[in-house]
Amino acid sequence: MNDLFAPPGNDWRPVSPQLRRLRRAVLSAVLVGLLLALAGVTVVLALPTGLVAAAAVALVLAAALGWFGIGRNVRFWGYAERDDDLYITHGALFRELIAVPYGRMQFVDITSGPLERAYGIATVRLHTASPRTNARIPGLPAEEAARLRDRLTELGEAQAAGL
Amino acid sequence: MTQRTARRLSPLTPVVRSFIVVVAAGTTVLRDITRGDLGPTAVMFALLLLAGGAYGVASWVRTKFWIEADELRVDTGVLSRQSRRIRIDRLQGIDIVQPFVARLFGLAELRMDVAGGSAREGSLAYLPLSDARELKDLLLARRDAVREAAAPDPAEASDAAAPAQPATVPDRVIARVDLQTLVLSILLSPETLSLAVFGVGLLVVFIASGTWLGVSATVPVFLGMGLALFKRFSGNYGFTVSETPAGLQVRRGLFDLNTQTIALHRVQGVVVSEPVFWRALGWARLDVSIAGYGNGAGDEGPSASTVLPVGDRRLVTQLAVHVLRGTDPEQVALRPVPRRARWVAPVVHRTLRTGTDERLVVSREGWLTRRTHVAPQARIQSLRITQGPWQRRLGLADVHVDSPPGPAKVRARHRDAAEARRLFDVEVAMGAWARRQLPTGER
Repeated sequence: MNDLFAPPGNDWRPVSPQLRRLRRAVLSAVLVGLLLALAGVTVVLALPTGLVAAAAVALVLAAALGWFGIGRNVRFWGYAERDDDLYITHGALFRELIAVPYGRMQFVDITSGPLERAYGIATVRLHTASPRTNARIPGLPAEEAARLRDRLTELGEAQAAGL
Repeated sequence: MTQRTARRLSPLTPVVRSFIVVVAAGTTVLRDITRGDLGPTAVMFALLLLAGGAYGVASWVRTKFWIEADELRVDTGVLSRQSRRIRIDRLQGIDIVQPFVARLFGLAELRMDVAGGSAREGSLAYLPLSDARELKDLLLARRDAVREAAAPDPAEASDAAAPAQPATVPDRVIARVDLQTLVLSILLSPETLSLAVFGVGLLVVFIASGTWLGVSATVPVFLGMGLALFKRFSGNYGFTVSETPAGLQVRRGLFDLNTQTIALHRVQGVVVSEPVFWRALGWARLDVSIAGYGNGAGDEGPSASTVLPVGDRRLVTQLAVHVLRGTDPEQVALRPVPRRARWVAPVVHRTLRTGTDERLVVSREGWLTRRTHVAPQARIQSLRITQGPWQRRLGLADVHVDSPPGPAKVRARHRDAAEARRLFDVEVAMGAWARRQLPTGER
């Protein structure tokens, strides 16, 4: 990480490694599904083995790249709670740093789909009056997500500023 | 001041509401009657007209409005009754709109903008124009009285009234767009230019090949663009900006007459646009972002966000200063981007500028139409830095200033990375400081 996305003061708080596991599990499931489909098509259409082998290798390589990319992406997620605002950073290739003042938050919500719940994580979203704010933190352990939401809501009410 | 007596809308309301249908069905029936053969379609139409007329009259009879206990109450509904209550102290602005047909009958619609409500919630259609004006003034005066009683805070009291003026001062006209300027400005817009280039291209193809190649495919495009340009003309016809105690008042329209009041404390940012041909004439256009109005139509025709569709640059700056309550975007020093930005933005990088001071943050971009976006520090919602892989190699980054939806979008593109982070940190601190300076009443 370079200066541009340096944390304000302390270090970034990372998201849960469960997020990486979840995403890799999804990736593996998709890879297995695609390989099975490929095998099925090969049997039905009697495709030449060379072609099939090349396709399978390409799929596995793409998945390997995705595996590596997921690890990198999850490592780049981070957030920092400050006195007046919340900083969030994410993205390995397209990087982003967001600062949301507590006084500007309209509401905070937590979402957790069935897969996320199975891995014990949740996503916290911050909404301001601007739809471009796009501030979310995925892969927070459920209790940390609840704590963060409560703290943000409390601070938001204390510092609320008019439009 | 309480009006306990319930009032009704204009009795002509049902006629205006269904004018097109009435005219169409009426002429059909009349034609058949004069011809002497009343066919089944005509009978059906006549019955429909009768039923519709009965419903319209019933709806008019059952629609009543009155003011009670700081609320405007509106009862409507023929079969199922609805009763709406609009809190007067929550009124942000009241617009008087006159659609074409209503204008023929001298009627107007009163649109009320309610805080917290997503869109315009309250509407009273139609009232005689003079009644609409009277009711508007009454409601606004009452709102100010209610607010003042609720919070005897001087900052609060002054936020509704523009620069210390007694409420009795008549509206002062600040700017008026004359016909000649309006027509010329539309003729010199980039849209007209592209239309002309397009036409010439078709002509060249015709001369070269002897056939009107691609004409059938392009006619709808031509018509659409021409219509958009005409709408811009008719919508901005007679554009007048005046200063009223409630804020800036904008009046415009050839067919549909629009009156709109912009409360200055709701302004979230402004945009000054200068198309390439206008620059030679020293002209510019001013749009504002207003909380709750959402995205204006942008460049397609007139929108609720336009404060001046065309005018002298000096006048536009003056208006911008007025709308930004005394802070002048021209005073903010703008800095260019590093030369290496040409590798990501070959043409535009020359036009990119960014600057900031303790009250405003300003960015400028665009060559065909140069747009200067301005946001008050106190109105910033959130801040973002973004950097793509290509920008990272060049050591550049973008800084985005997020505002509520509207035409003003301040973003500093392709800044030097170190400078971008400095700007970001400065803006974060400045925004926090500016928010604390906001009067507590400005919610």
